[in-house]
Amino acid sequence: MKARILITMLTAAVVFFAGYAALFIAPDERTMHEIQRIFYFHLGCWTAMFTALTIAFVANIGWLVEHKPHWDWLSVSSVEVGVVCCTGGLITGILWGKPAWGIWWTWDARLTTCFVLWLLYISYLILRGLIEEPGRRATLSSVFGIFAFLDAPLVYVSNRLWRTQHPAPVLFGGPNSGLDPIMVKVLMISMAAMVAVMVIVLAERYRLERLRHEVDELRMVCQARAALSGDPAPSPASRN
Amino acid sequence: MMQNFHFLFAAWIAVWAVFFLYQMSIASRAARLREEVEQLKQQIREG
Amino acid sequence: MRTARAAAIVLAKELRLEFRTRELLNATIVFALVVVVLFSFSFEPTSAESRRLGPGLLWVAFLFSGSLMLHPSLGREQVNQTLDALRMAPISSFAIVLGKTLANFLFLCAAEAVLVPVFAVLYNVSLVGVWGRLTLVIVLGTVGLSVTGTVFSAIAAHARMRELLLPLLLLPILTPLLIAAVEATGSLFAVQATLERTWLAFLAGFDIVFLTASWLLSDFLLEE
Repeated sequence: MKARILITMLTAAVVFFAGYAALFIAPDERTMHEIQRIFYFHLGCWTAMFTALTIAFVANIGWLVEHKPHWDWLSVSSVEVGVVCCTGGLITGILWGKPAWGIWWTWDARLTTCFVLWLLYISYLILRGLIEEPGRRATLSSVFGIFAFLDAPLVYVSNRLWRTQHPAPVLFGGPNSGLDPIMVKVLMISMAAMVAVMVIVLAERYRLERLRHEVDELRMVCQARAALSGDPAPSPASRN
Repeated sequence: MMQNFHFLFAAWIAVWAVFFLYQMSIASRAARLREEVEQLKQQIREG
Repeated sequence: MRTARAAAIVLAKELRLEFRTRELLNATIVFALVVVVLFSFSFEPTSAESRRLGPGLLWVAFLFSGSLMLHPSLGREQVNQTLDALRMAPISSFAIVLGKTLANFLFLCAAEAVLVPVFAVLYNVSLVGVWGRLTLVIVLGTVGLSVTGTVFSAIAAHARMRELLLPLLLLPILTPLLIAAVEATGSLFAVQATLERTWLAFLAGFDIVFLTASWLLSDFLLEE
């Protein structure tokens, strides 16, 4: 418990420092000035999403290798958190696009990949909602999760290949082409901050899943008891 | 230039709002489930 | 029993089943034609415009009709629980999945064989001199579509709303395939027909990755 509070406070400190650094310490960018600072949150979201989805991939494999429930809890938690980070990435992308390029959206490789991944992993969550039996749900969603993760680099590469043939509507040198060293440091801090926040939220979501499991087990005990004693079991509180 | 600052601020708020709302949703679901755990445990103890 | 032989037997069963009624094949071809006709109302199909937009339309038509056709692949097995009977046979799960994938591949190719000439005629696209290369691109694309489609059909078979779920799962996964196939087809439709090896390599790569994944995961797909 103490460890949890300590970690949360530490993360909050990193977050505040990252925010301050992004807004005030990082030097001004040549062409885009202030609005470029969104880049620190934007890449932070992207990094957090990638970390979450990698954890999901590992958890998917984990479930298929040994059918222990904690792998499934980790799978669904990390995918959900990954989708949340992706949403953050898309929103910051849009809010950066309008002032910087004059358009709300552009189909460059990174944004397109983010969008497709968002759709893919939302499909994962929808799939889970449509399979009743827990064991089968875990197995089939793990298979889908593995396919989705394998697809991610293919989506990126195909978009990259495609868009270099048809020149992008906007020239954007790429954030890593000759970054100022201070910018690099601020970027590292921002990414660390977002990943830390992601991990905390992931842990919360994992605990929620474990609670759900506990509720299901207790319900089964209640129903078994009722069946043995011949009384109809009183209806449990409705699930969310 | 200053109008761009509004976008920057909006992005900053949006990112944390997304995480915050998600965390809130988890917390409320967890509270409801914990209540149900207590109820069920009570039932088992009585039955 | 060796996987290849078992897969061939499953394939033969699927083919025999389908050719008894041919309902799936007929419906798929007609649906694809409907899509192609509908698209003609969304732009002016001059030769130049068709060369520009045609490849995209063609592949979208393949994907849509394909994802509708793939669903019964494993959906049919649910009715009399014939999948359980298949599973009890002394063959590997991959043999079953491979057999069905091959069957779907052949059905899709049959539908495309009808569709491509019709499309060329309706949209004034000249295919003289590019038939061989076009066939290669379409075959590579269809392999990817059948492999992923069969796997996801197996996944969706156990879920509710499976008719909607299959396209929902399948189409985002296929975006790289769509891009590569459309680009390759587009370059073949151009006045100076070319075919870049990049896209062919990409399509082949996509097929290999997902075929391997389906081989490794087939046991879990058909798990009890």
